[in-house]
Amino acid sequence: MNLGISLENGFREIWSHKFRSGLSMLGIVLGVSSLVATLALTAGIERGSRVFMAQMGGLELVSVVDQEISNQNLDFWNLSPGRTLQDAVAIRQSANLISHVSPELQEGLPVSSGTETMRVRVTGAWPDYMGVASNELAAGRFISDLDGEFSNRAVVIGDTIAKQMWPNLPPEQILGKILFIQEVPFEVIGVFIEYVRESDRRAAERKVKNPETAVPTRRSRGSWDPFRGKNQAVVIPFSTMFYEFKSGKFPEDSVDTIRLNDFNVRISDLNSFAPALDQVRRVLNQTHRGVDDFGFTTREDWFDSMERNIRGTRISGGLIALISLLVGGIGITNIMLASITERVREIGIRRAVGAKARDIFLQILIESVSIALMGGILGVLCGFGLIDILNRLAPSDNEPFVTVAAVLLSVTFAAVAGIVSGIYPAIQASRLDPIQALRYE
Amino acid sequence: MRESRSSLTTPGLPIPANVSLVFLENVTKIYYIGDQEIRALNGISLSIDQGEFVSIIGPSGSGKSTLMHLLGCLDKPSAGRMEICGYDITTANSDKLSDIRNREIGFVFQSFNLLPRLNVLENIEVPMIYTGASASTRRRRSEELVERVGLQDRRLNRPTQLSGGQCQRVAIARALVNDPKIVFGDEPTGNLDSTTGKLILEMFRELHETGRTVVLVTHDPKIAAVTHRVIEIKDGQIERQYDPRKTAI
Repeated sequence: MNLGISLENGFREIWSHKFRSGLSMLGIVLGVSSLVATLALTAGIERGSRVFMAQMGGLELVSVVDQEISNQNLDFWNLSPGRTLQDAVAIRQSANLISHVSPELQEGLPVSSGTETMRVRVTGAWPDYMGVASNELAAGRFISDLDGEFSNRAVVIGDTIAKQMWPNLPPEQILGKILFIQEVPFEVIGVFIEYVRESDRRAAERKVKNPETAVPTRRSRGSWDPFRGKNQAVVIPFSTMFYEFKSGKFPEDSVDTIRLNDFNVRISDLNSFAPALDQVRRVLNQTHRGVDDFGFTTREDWFDSMERNIRGTRISGGLIALISLLVGGIGITNIMLASITERVREIGIRRAVGAKARDIFLQILIESVSIALMGGILGVLCGFGLIDILNRLAPSDNEPFVTVAAVLLSVTFAAVAGIVSGIYPAIQASRLDPIQALRYE
Repeated sequence: MRESRSSLTTPGLPIPANVSLVFLENVTKIYYIGDQEIRALNGISLSIDQGEFVSIIGPSGSGKSTLMHLLGCLDKPSAGRMEICGYDITTANSDKLSDIRNREIGFVFQSFNLLPRLNVLENIEVPMIYTGASASTRRRRSEELVERVGLQDRRLNRPTQLSGGQCQRVAIARALVNDPKIVFGDEPTGNLDSTTGKLILEMFRELHETGRTVVLVTHDPKIAAVTHRVIEIKDGQIERQYDPRKTAI
């Protein structure tokens, strides 16, 4: 018996009992819509975290940090120069799995445009600073090797600093302005873009669209802004930093031996993460003369816990959805059983004119799958609606979005629920004795 | 494709004209209701040739319905040998029986047994669905048959919108749709008034005249009188057989 007719029959049957079929679909609609919504929410969280990760430098960013020396090395502690510029030079020369090396010196210093003054953390860095943590410029250029060589008084500033120092000036017009860092004049050669969280960006968009109904942004409520540090960046060449602000403090320090405040490297390919770390470790073992006073912090732990959270949300949401699907499936089984007792005679007639037991089995199964699939499609639509409502009521950092895979998965679950719940009634129907069924009144 | 004939003919050769379409030898049917054994048929031997016009007659409880179900391949005998259209029914499985019902047998029931949600054309097409015919073939065939039973103007009506006689004509069209060898009528005029009943009976007679084997099951001697052979059943056994055209009732 061909599928087209079975489907047509199925829909005809459903149509002739619209209310009943609709009620029995309800569970499936509920299950599928909550599944779609859950998957959309977690997809949103996942995407948000990934974007955030990328903006913060991604998994490829590894920090080289000071570490407690192990006991057997304790006697040699003074052999090691600690984290210095030499480490950076050595890594750049011999670790080919590392794409960027960024040694950094930092100092809290007053900066001033002449009219505005504030105290910020100033960073002395190599040109690699730009690539190590995926920074972007709104205008101008970043520090070059030449700036470092000549210890130029050039500075690249973050968006917050730019707005504080020169309110109402676009980034392009800030270029060439003089920024005083502890009374020393620096020329602004570049301005970073403004780093914003997803939620703030969308809130701003909404404000542009219809200013009256805009929801107050999170920032105004004073929550933690992960990009605060990046937006307050003031970056000058490494050597300038040393000669202008560091060299006077300890006469024995030279630009090569001064301890770094921060030291980040970027691994060129995530697939060779471990070998790259090994390379760095070997190089640093040389420069530190075998003293294990350094370690690495990676983003992996952070990333793992993020993944765990997403998985947890997905599982609990999925569980709720599956329970609804189960209940919905039982509803369909119930309706199908009622439907076949109503149609014993029809089944008898079909058997008498040549339908095989499996034709009847298929007919009932297809009917129940049709109900489930219709419920599934309605459920997907409801899921979209649900997400829209959620978005309006509670705009979050991570806008939920429905993926094709989520829709397919949900509809598949609905179909499976239809099959499972149809099997028992279908078996019952196909087992009816044709003669008994024909006599049934 | 039809399967090759079993014992009665050699596979591949044309079927002889007067071969037995129905062949029963010492057939018994036993039902169990609780512990009680009910012998509905008790040693029936019977053979019906191609092209015959036969009626099976008997009072209720005589076993004629059981015989009808066996002949219609709706059921299998408890003991004895039975062949329908060359197929050995005693060894056939349920799917095979369905197949035989579908292709070799047409049923006309007392209560019409049309599907209430389908229109006339769709009702006629139902057996073809299980043959696997395409939609266009089905529609062509059902249009042809609806014309033959004279219901062109009612072809899109539901059974509830038809009179009893019209329903029975749809049922006859449905019985003929797969061009079966035998047409069974189970009290086909039982739910009809006498005038309509006569018309339906006339249609069965025409079927016989166009070469089809027709078997009517009835309790009404007047209907049996139209046929060419009457088989009287009583207490699960054949009481007598006669040609009503020659024997006075």
